[in-house]
Amino acid sequence: MRLAAVCQSGMGTSFMVQMNIQNVLNDEGADTGNFELSHMDVGSATPDSADYFFIESTLETALGNLPKEKVVLLKSIIDADETKQKVNEILDKNKINHK
Amino acid sequence: MLSNLLNEKTVRIADGKKLDWKTSIKEASKPLLEDGTILNGYVSSMIDVVEKEGPYINIGPGIALAHAQPNGFVNRVGMALLKTKDSIALTSKDHMINIWFVLAAVDSNSHLESIKELTKLLTDPNNVEKLLSANSVCDLLNVIKNVDLNFAVKRKEDKK
Repeated sequence: MRLAAVCQSGMGTSFMVQMNIQNVLNDEGADTGNFELSHMDVGSATPDSADYFFIESTLETALGNLPKEKVVLLKSIIDADETKQKVNEILDKNKINHK
Repeated sequence: MLSNLLNEKTVRIADGKKLDWKTSIKEASKPLLEDGTILNGYVSSMIDVVEKEGPYINIGPGIALAHAQPNGFVNRVGMALLKTKDSIALTSKDHMINIWFVLAAVDSNSHLESIKELTKLLTDPNNVEKLLSANSVCDLLNVIKNVDLNFAVKRKEDKK
């Protein structure tokens, strides 16, 4: 499964989100071999480039080209609990084992 | 280490009374302009990004991380921090900011270690609270140094 974090420049905040996702997967004991994590800028985020896109809420309109079911909106980039909740929803939805 | 980039030279504090979001980003960038880490064009780029894309650099409660693509305006990796005692609206009152980070990167990779450490700092709500309540540069630096210390201890443990 490909999880992508997206921000306007693809340099700063998207990498923060990627790291937080990685931490959640580690903490949840999910088999990280099943996941491909990346970070990218708004322009690179095409519908086929990932299975789920994590984006900061205010960028939603800039990424209107992405299918809604693939988009995960984050209110706060640095809120580890919010990221954890959203990642776990994806794990559950796809019946992936975790803690 | 975070304190390699965020130190006595790059961390500043201001009351913020005469600042708006644009001048706050400019003020926060000053140490990096002064030592040649970035050029004026980078400051304009960071402001342009917000004007075009909105306040998404508001990455957490009271915290902004200003950054942009380097486009030749960045000479080396750098970071700066300005704390404004007054909260300043980043384009709207829904995004009130006291902590202004500036991040300058030369490419997509060289700054990732710094972001890793910055994420460590900011994902701990205790640290955020300490930054928001800090009244001096010294207070701010202590929070940063503590993160470095914990990071170093953890690395040692990981190696064991």
